Amino acid sequence: MNKTKGAFLIARNNAQIDYVKQAVFLAKRIRKYLDIPTTILTDSVDYLKSTYDETVFDRIIPLEYNPQKNERVYYDGAMYQKQATFNNRSRCQVYDLTPYNETLLLDTDYIISNRLLKNCFNLKDDFLIYKDSTDLAQVRDEQEFKYISDTSVPFYWATCVFFRKTQINEIYFNLLQHIEEEWDHYRRVYQITSGLFRNDFAFSIAIHIMNGFTNGTFAKEMPGKMLYTTDKDVLEFLKDDQMMFLVEKRNYLGEYNALSTKGQTVHVMNKFSLNRIIDKELANE
Amino acid sequence: MSNGIVVLAQNNNTTNYVKQAELLAMSLKVTNPNTKISIVTNNVLDIEFTTLFDKVIPIPWNDSAAESDWKIENRWKLYHASPYDKTIIMDTDMLVLQDISSWWNFLEKYKLFFTSKVYTYRGSIANTSYYRKVFEANNLPNLFSGLHYFEKSEEAQEFYHWLELVVNNWQTFYEVFLEGVTRPKHMSIDVCASIVALILDNTSKITNASADFPSFTHMKKNCQDWTDGSNNWQDRVGCYISRNCNIKIGNYAQSGILHYTEDDFLKKSPVIERYRNLINV
Repeated sequence: MNKTKGAFLIARNNAQIDYVKQAVFLAKRIRKYLDIPTTILTDSVDYLKSTYDETVFDRIIPLEYNPQKNERVYYDGAMYQKQATFNNRSRCQVYDLTPYNETLLLDTDYIISNRLLKNCFNLKDDFLIYKDSTDLAQVRDEQEFKYISDTSVPFYWATCVFFRKTQINEIYFNLLQHIEEEWDHYRRVYQITSGLFRNDFAFSIAIHIMNGFTNGTFAKEMPGKMLYTTDKDVLEFLKDDQMMFLVEKRNYLGEYNALSTKGQTVHVMNKFSLNRIIDKELANE
Repeated sequence: MSNGIVVLAQNNNTTNYVKQAELLAMSLKVTNPNTKISIVTNNVLDIEFTTLFDKVIPIPWNDSAAESDWKIENRWKLYHASPYDKTIIMDTDMLVLQDISSWWNFLEKYKLFFTSKVYTYRGSIANTSYYRKVFEANNLPNLFSGLHYFEKSEEAQEFYHWLELVVNNWQTFYEVFLEGVTRPKHMSIDVCASIVALILDNTSKITNASADFPSFTHMKKNCQDWTDGSNNWQDRVGCYISRNCNIKIGNYAQSGILHYTEDDFLKKSPVIERYRNLINV
């Protein structure tokens, strides 16, 4: 069998955030650092084609526009916030939609800055996901990224997932779809108080079930560690593989410490500041 | 060579340890039907449960715990009371949820073995610091006597002779081995056993830090890696027992040995009824 491989991004814009822009930006970096093609699943195909260079994508898969009632608060630094729709209900279908035998599923705000993830394709494990993570700010309680709730199962990051098309993984993604469909049941069983659907939680619950309701070996760790900044931090500068963040200062609301990274892939949760940086980058092209 | 499990059960005003031991014996019958278990007690067993035990053994040399609530003063006698060449000692408030025959093979290498790391209900290594400040402050070996093993041997006998001495003179030994501010006001069998390990300098011979088992799931609430508190673990997570006596705590299927620690687990859950129905006792 011809083993095709590629990255898969999902971009569903809401009234506040242009995820398509992020996907275009990330696809270029995926090509640069990982040298693999990228497929995008989006409900904004016309917007993509009319606004950006669509040739950065290997394939564009249209998704029916179907706005959700999933609302959440998005911060832009510690002092500013907006309410917007959280259109996140497509990720569980990726197994059926991906054109690749080996897929690297990424959030559009996961800024690839090194070649580390190329190693996924050389490992024998068929399902890789991050469990361990590090908050670059180093001043916040990280318990929320340790378990999906205080008494529940370990937290896994749906932000970055590698999988091959195998029978076991097909079962996993079918299970994910079931969990999504019956979210109100599962979130209660797993002691999640908020009704907001989160892919991280669904992925974590499905892994726990695949492991036979105990600690098993279904999911293996991605290479390296998930580095992240929350939406209360600000991405201030990006050039090639260098980024500079203003990260929250402990006990001083609205004050920040500057922090630079080089050659580190980072999950940048402040989507507003990410989009401002991308605007600058695109303007310079 | 004979082997088996021994438990010490002495009821007090608040806790029916014999009832706990009967439940433990039922769980053993389900998962390890060929493993013998004996009970050391001066209390009377419920008649329908006596057949679960290989031997019912009176506490030797009178009851040293007659005046105490915690009833641990007799623990050192278990070496002498055990009818087996190779013995696993267990606390009564435990359930055996899986076949542990392979543990006996592992223990063949030891004359004496103490569990030195325990697990949360989620299967991660439990941080027991909350309960073990005296161990950390005094660099005591982290022994859990609630699950330990010995083979009748010179080495094990020496350990138990020292344990007798330390238990019977615990205030004196505490003064020597424990810093004043950290010194507990009550005797603990774990602390006493750890002091003996220090005296004999044999911790590395009686523990194995790299071994995942033998061990147990320790359900004391402050070692579950929870940030929110509650008075007991049963108020914090659900416990589910199937008709086949498979136990789930929270979202986790349990295996190994479950040290449920809270006596009202027997009343709040249908655990006794489930086991009685399953083995027809």
